Amino acid sequence: MFDQLFDGALVDSVMRAMIPILLAALGGMICDRAGVFQISLEGMMLAGAFAAVAGSYLAAASGLGVLFAVVAGAAVSLVLAFGAVSRKGDPIVLGIAVNLLMLGMTGFLLPQIFGVRGVFAHPRIDGLDRFAIPGLSDIPLLGPALFDNTIIAYLSLPLTAALWVFLFRTPMGLRLRGVGERPQAAESLGVSPTVYKYWAVVSSGVLAGLAGAQLALGNVVQFAENMSSGRGWIAVVAVMLGRAHPVGVLGASLLFAFSEGLGFRLQGNGLPVQITDALPFAVTLIALIAARKRFARLLDLTTAG
Amino acid sequence: MKRFWKIGAAVLAMAMIASACADGEEDEGIDLIYVTPGPIGINPFLALGEVGTERAAERLGGTSKTFESNLDTASQRSNIEAAIDEAPDVIVLTTFTLLEMADEFSKANPDQKFILIDACPDDPAPNLHCGVFREHEGAYLLGIMAGRLSETGQIGSVVALDIPFFKRWWQSFELGAASVNASVENSVVFIGGENAFADPARAKELALSLSAQGPDHIFAVGAGSNGGVFEAAGEADFLAYGVDINECPTAPGRVVDNNLKLVDALVDQLVEKVINGEAGPVESFGLAEGGTGVMALHPDLASSECVIADHPDIIAEVEAAAEGIIDGSIVVPDPLFG
Repeated sequence: MFDQLFDGALVDSVMRAMIPILLAALGGMICDRAGVFQISLEGMMLAGAFAAVAGSYLAAASGLGVLFAVVAGAAVSLVLAFGAVSRKGDPIVLGIAVNLLMLGMTGFLLPQIFGVRGVFAHPRIDGLDRFAIPGLSDIPLLGPALFDNTIIAYLSLPLTAALWVFLFRTPMGLRLRGVGERPQAAESLGVSPTVYKYWAVVSSGVLAGLAGAQLALGNVVQFAENMSSGRGWIAVVAVMLGRAHPVGVLGASLLFAFSEGLGFRLQGNGLPVQITDALPFAVTLIALIAARKRFARLLDLTTAG
Repeated sequence: MKRFWKIGAAVLAMAMIASACADGEEDEGIDLIYVTPGPIGINPFLALGEVGTERAAERLGGTSKTFESNLDTASQRSNIEAAIDEAPDVIVLTTFTLLEMADEFSKANPDQKFILIDACPDDPAPNLHCGVFREHEGAYLLGIMAGRLSETGQIGSVVALDIPFFKRWWQSFELGAASVNASVENSVVFIGGENAFADPARAKELALSLSAQGPDHIFAVGAGSNGGVFEAAGEADFLAYGVDINECPTAPGRVVDNNLKLVDALVDQLVEKVINGEAGPVESFGLAEGGTGVMALHPDLASSECVIADHPDIIAEVEAAAEGIIDGSIVVPDPLFG
């Protein structure tokens, strides 16, 4: 039973499920550290997926698709940046608005640009190639997932490490965290919270755009209406659960991806879909309760500040 | 009070104009109006609706028009209203998207006859006739193909939701396979999640994990999610089956056949029944009426890019089974009412 459940294909499937969540969650983490509650990851991911497919179709090259996705994610994030940072709007209201806007906009643009409804798949859409690293990709279990993957997947794990270094070992990272935790104190030292917050939100747009590109050009090679299907929301939870720490975020993303991949497997073994469907959310609930202490601390901070 | 009279006068004037228009159309023959929920573009489902409406008009000696909507309720609504203003013999509406409007407008305009295809409100007005498909008959034929072609003796289905309606597809698929290979095993997985009908990434993962357990013939019953199953078919080396339209060209060499909804045949026949006053509130169309089918028995098989085209022996068997279903010697139970 267990060797049937846990094999290389499961690891591969978990990796594919994890990358979009992880990338978006890393973006959410940077925002959280800068003191902006980022819940528009879902909308930015969807915009990235749409732009990736559009770019890849127009140029018949996945590179342009990825570029389009990054630009689209960043452009959408500017809406939140302007509203929440410059205009001091409520980031939750704005974030929900951005999500709804992107859902409607991609659904509107799909028939306008490509003349189809619901799904756009075309041989001209160039998917992201998987590059196998000779030798390493033959490692049993982990090899194919870690060393035979798309460029975005290769980027995601080192990026997690790089963000850890940035946040905790560089002066800029320190200032970013300062802006998030004590904006007045940071400002008194000549650090502009507005500039840091803007960069944080735009970075999250870039990362969520990349997540969308991986979803629409890596995991599958097509665009479907609302294809992010809640992955951006899972990323929001991963940020909370991982306490906005790179290692925690990676762990939380892995946990969600694993529970989803395992759910698919268990369904094949006869477990009802209602249970496997609920698995990631049951995990979320348990994890949120476990992470309650963190919220209590946040609450203290906000009421005290 | 003055305002009230103004509005009243305007309404009266409009009503008179409208009735004058209706009186003006005293020509011979029937007229039909087909209102789409969206642009026909490359949507074969909507295109077939137009073909069927035109064919019915031609056959019954009349004319037909098509009002093509954009994908928003405002344009759908104004098109239906425009169609009602012209007071044709029948207004043909398609798909679930127009379900609520079909219900609303048919109740508000009891003298106008409507046809709604592939959906039906719970309590249709007497002037609304629904045309639905007996999808289980086509799925049974696909099952025969899978039962014959499967080398592992295991087949599977990736289905959008775990609701009784979809049993028509996966249970009938299983039944068809069992009819030619009693030992065949069928596994079903459901896409579920937040967006079951348009989550190709999730459908692909499910198809990959399903195929890893043995099934080498997988039925994709996920509408917009199907593309994910076909992609998985290319990567994990299994063969897939599609739904509604000929999906073979989207993944040449990976799709065996499809459970077709032949909208043109349905519209053509249902219009005639409605005109002759023979139509019930819900009319179902299966193999016998040519409303459902498979590419294997379709005239366009040669250009379909379907894998089944390479298996004439199985096509013969499917043909025999289809005849059996039509003449009643093979009974495919409807899982919804069985």
